[in-house]
Amino acid sequence: MGGEQEEVPHRISSLQRYLTTPVTNIQTAADARESMRRKELEQARKVRLEWLENDVRSSQEKFEEITKGWSMAKDKVTPRELQEALSGQQQLCALLVENKKKLINDLQQELKVGDDRYVKDLRKQVEELDLMMERMEDQVKTLTKAYREELAQLERVYQQENKVLLITDKKERHQLLKKLWDEELERLAQRKKKVEEYEAKIHSLMLETIDKQSVIKTEETSNFQVLEREQQQMQGTNMIMRLKQIKERDDVETHKFNLANMKSRIISLQAEKKNLVTNYMSQVKQFRTKSRHLSKDHKRNIQQYERIQKTKKHFAVADARRFDEMWLTLEEEVRQLVERALVIDQRICERHLGLAWERPALPSSPFQPKKPARTPDPQPVSQLIHTEQSSQCSQGTTTDASGGPGSQAEGVDADACGEQTAAQSESDAWESEEARLSTEMKVMELLCDETGFLMEDQLLKMLAPLEKQGPTSVKLGSLLSSLGVEEEDLPKLADFLLTYQQQQTKVSSAAERVSIRTSTFDQAAAVETNSDLIHPNHVLPALKSFLKQHMKSRESSGPQQSSVPPTEARDSSTDGAYWERMGNVIPEEKVKLWEAARNLLEQHLEVLQEISELVPETDRLEQQNAELRMLLQQSLNQ
Amino acid sequence: MTSKSPCPPESNLRGPDACRNMRRIIAEDPLWSLAIVPSLSDLCLQSIVGHFEGNPIFEQLTPVQKDFIQESLSPSLPLSVTANLIGDGVYWRRCCEQRWDLCDVSNYGHSWKRMFLERRLQGIIELFMPDVTDPKTVLEMVPHCRNHVKRLDISQLLPPLKEEVEYGSELTIDNEYDGVSMDHFDFGILLDKLTGLEELHLVYRVQQCGLNFEWKMFEMTARDCESLAKALKSCKTLKLLRLHQSHIEDIKCRMLVKHLLDHPSLRELDFSHNLIGDRGARAIGKLLTRSKLKTLNLCDNNITDPGAKAIAHALSKNSTLLSLNLRLNRLRDEGGQALGEALLSNNTLRHLHLGGNEVTGPTAIALSKVLVQNSTLKSINLSCNNLGEDGGKALEEAMSHKTSITECDLRLTEVDEQIVSFINQMVWANQSLERKQQAQDKKPSVDPSSPSS
Repeated sequence: MGGEQEEVPHRISSLQRYLTTPVTNIQTAADARESMRRKELEQARKVRLEWLENDVRSSQEKFEEITKGWSMAKDKVTPRELQEALSGQQQLCALLVENKKKLINDLQQELKVGDDRYVKDLRKQVEELDLMMERMEDQVKTLTKAYREELAQLERVYQQENKVLLITDKKERHQLLKKLWDEELERLAQRKKKVEEYEAKIHSLMLETIDKQSVIKTEETSNFQVLEREQQQMQGTNMIMRLKQIKERDDVETHKFNLANMKSRIISLQAEKKNLVTNYMSQVKQFRTKSRHLSKDHKRNIQQYERIQKTKKHFAVADARRFDEMWLTLEEEVRQLVERALVIDQRICERHLGLAWERPALPSSPFQPKKPARTPDPQPVSQLIHTEQSSQCSQGTTTDASGGPGSQAEGVDADACGEQTAAQSESDAWESEEARLSTEMKVMELLCDETGFLMEDQLLKMLAPLEKQGPTSVKLGSLLSSLGVEEEDLPKLADFLLTYQQQQTKVSSAAERVSIRTSTFDQAAAVETNSDLIHPNHVLPALKSFLKQHMKSRESSGPQQSSVPPTEARDSSTDGAYWERMGNVIPEEKVKLWEAARNLLEQHLEVLQEISELVPETDRLEQQNAELRMLLQQSLNQ
Repeated sequence: MTSKSPCPPESNLRGPDACRNMRRIIAEDPLWSLAIVPSLSDLCLQSIVGHFEGNPIFEQLTPVQKDFIQESLSPSLPLSVTANLIGDGVYWRRCCEQRWDLCDVSNYGHSWKRMFLERRLQGIIELFMPDVTDPKTVLEMVPHCRNHVKRLDISQLLPPLKEEVEYGSELTIDNEYDGVSMDHFDFGILLDKLTGLEELHLVYRVQQCGLNFEWKMFEMTARDCESLAKALKSCKTLKLLRLHQSHIEDIKCRMLVKHLLDHPSLRELDFSHNLIGDRGARAIGKLLTRSKLKTLNLCDNNITDPGAKAIAHALSKNSTLLSLNLRLNRLRDEGGQALGEALLSNNTLRHLHLGGNEVTGPTAIALSKVLVQNSTLKSINLSCNNLGEDGGKALEEAMSHKTSITECDLRLTEVDEQIVSFINQMVWANQSLERKQQAQDKKPSVDPSSPSS
């Protein structure tokens, strides 16, 4: 095939070559002929030229001959000769002309031949052209034929190839298709079989699986329910556990917090306590020194007080005397004023109003001047002062002794008690004194025990190490001080308590009427035997009631004790009335009457004043009148 | 325009009743269809076609409308309207086909417009009669075809009329012959205006003269020659000049050559079938040195060895000429040897035609040397020369070397048949070699029919 493909262009090019050569051959042949013709023409021209030259030469010779003849003829004289010469010339000319004619003829002949040849050439060229065209056409035809053949061959070759290929391909395809189909059919059959098998299998499997599934499902659901329940339980327990844990944690935290707080508080309190102890020590010292100073001051103050009392008494006496004097003078003055007023009233009534006047009754003076012998006895006062002083002293000692050792305090206290009893024993019977003291002591103890809550903790602590007797006294002291009850009131308190007990136990009213003291003493003795002084439960209300009473009595007795009152108290209420009556000697209607009278009098006054004012004027006018009269008289006289 | 066209507008103008009527009428008319109704644009185009001469509208249209107008325009419209408006296309084909039977558009660059305008101008020039036809008729064409005319192939030029004079009085003929000029159409007025002209083919002859044949009809006068020479000089775009069968002698040749010296664009010169002698050949030799000619055709002239020597001398220095045709001259051996020597120092010439030059063996020997040495010469034609046995042997010996010759014509050269066949074999081998090289140069498969004879 490849060789064929290569051969095709070669064949065609050779064909072209071989086909073009005949055409170009004609051209080259024409060229060659043309060149030949030119050569011939050239040669002919040469020949002709030579010929012509020869002819020219010969004709020249002849012409010269003729001209010579003509010149010779001129020499000729005779006509004969002339004739001969003329004829000879004529002959020569004719020859020449003949020659020329011949030449012309020849040339014309040649021309004719040339024309013929030209025509022939033309014809030949026409023929050649025709031939060339023919050949060209042939060539074109053959070439086209060749090309067509070539094409056809190529096409045929390709078609054959195609056909062969097609056939083989088709065969292959058919075979392959057959194979494929067979295979496909086989596979299809197999597949069908398999499908059936599988369907059956699937059906059985489906049933199985459905059964299994249902079983499993039920199981699963039951399991699931159980699990769910468990889980819920677990959740509940977990919840509880968690709550418990949380609670525990909370507790622990709070405990921890409390503990820490307590610890810190303890620490701080201990530190505070230490501080306080030190403070206390220092303060005790300070107090000791201070108390020493204060006792000194106290003594000095007492002395001062006594002095003041004396001056006060003196002043009181002086004041009373002055008061009386003042009272008398004032009363005198008032009486005088009243008198005057009454006089005035009388005058007004009588003179101005023309009314009958009767004298109103004057109040009598409530004050009768007393005897100056009346003087207050100084003894009880001094006694009082003394007792007070002593009690205060004892108190100071007890307070002093409280800082010191217990034994000393006890002793001092005992002393004080002794003193006290001594001071109070003045008016009382001596026999009952001891019994009364013992009951008193017992009552006090009881009081102390019951009212311990009223005492300060610190004091109690401090008193704890003391012996039984010591603390009661100290306690009592502090208690009384806190209650505001004086030491002197202590027996009173004891008495009250005892009476209260009796009141509570519903003692008969007859016993009440008996003087309190005696009865109490008797009762106390009776009670003592019973060894039941007062019920501890009744102590507190009794104390309360006592305090109430005591405070009242104090308030009432306070000023009596402090100020020295006049021995006989004046009735000031009658004084006020008296003075009132004195003030209102002239009653209200009278005042109104006076007012009206006054108004009238004022009007009268005014009239009078006007009159008084006019009086000088009248006087002047009179004077003027007199003068004028004088002048008139003078003028008359003149 | 169909008869149905006015119907729809009327129906639109009238009321609904009229519409109904129309519809009824339309239904009754079996030939009626909407396709028959021409669209408004078609009507407009038709009116444009109808009034194209008075109101040419072409540029604004769409390509489809342009095609329609080209199809329907009348070919007899004046060129002043159409030449510069309508581009190459159907219209010009219609014009050509209406005017001429044979229309080979491939000769005109496949441009119908160019074909029409060139042939129109050729026709006007060929029928131009000096002193009778107004030169304006030619000049009127110039503005229309200035940009399209590339080639003028003028196959005849009429001489001035003189028949009346001839028939008038025989006595005055001689005077008239001397006095009245026989000048042909003056190309001076035309060539410098055709800005696109590239080829000019001129023949000073009269076709179909019949019995009125006169030699004077077939030659150019001296004044023709001068005016033509000046016109050629003024035409700066000319590439090819073909002036054949016009009785150009040495003098006229010199005149033409004088004006063609240093022409900027001339590439091909054809003076074939004239009467150029040695002096003319010498002038052409000078032209070869002072121009860029690629092809020179001097076949069928009167050049002999002196002229050939002049040309050979010019050829030895020239480096542009590719083809030289000296067919049917008379160079003889001296000229042929001179050319052979010149070709030894020339590497540009490819084609040499020395057919019918009366050269013989010595020239063949000289050329065989050239064949051995020169590698550019490809075709050589020595046909119709009597080269003889010696020349043939020399050529055979030269061809036995590796040469570049692809064509060698040795017909009618009296060379031995065997030698000719051997040389042909070599030439064919070279041809196939060259073809393979060409095929290698351009990868696409070579058309086998490309090398034409």
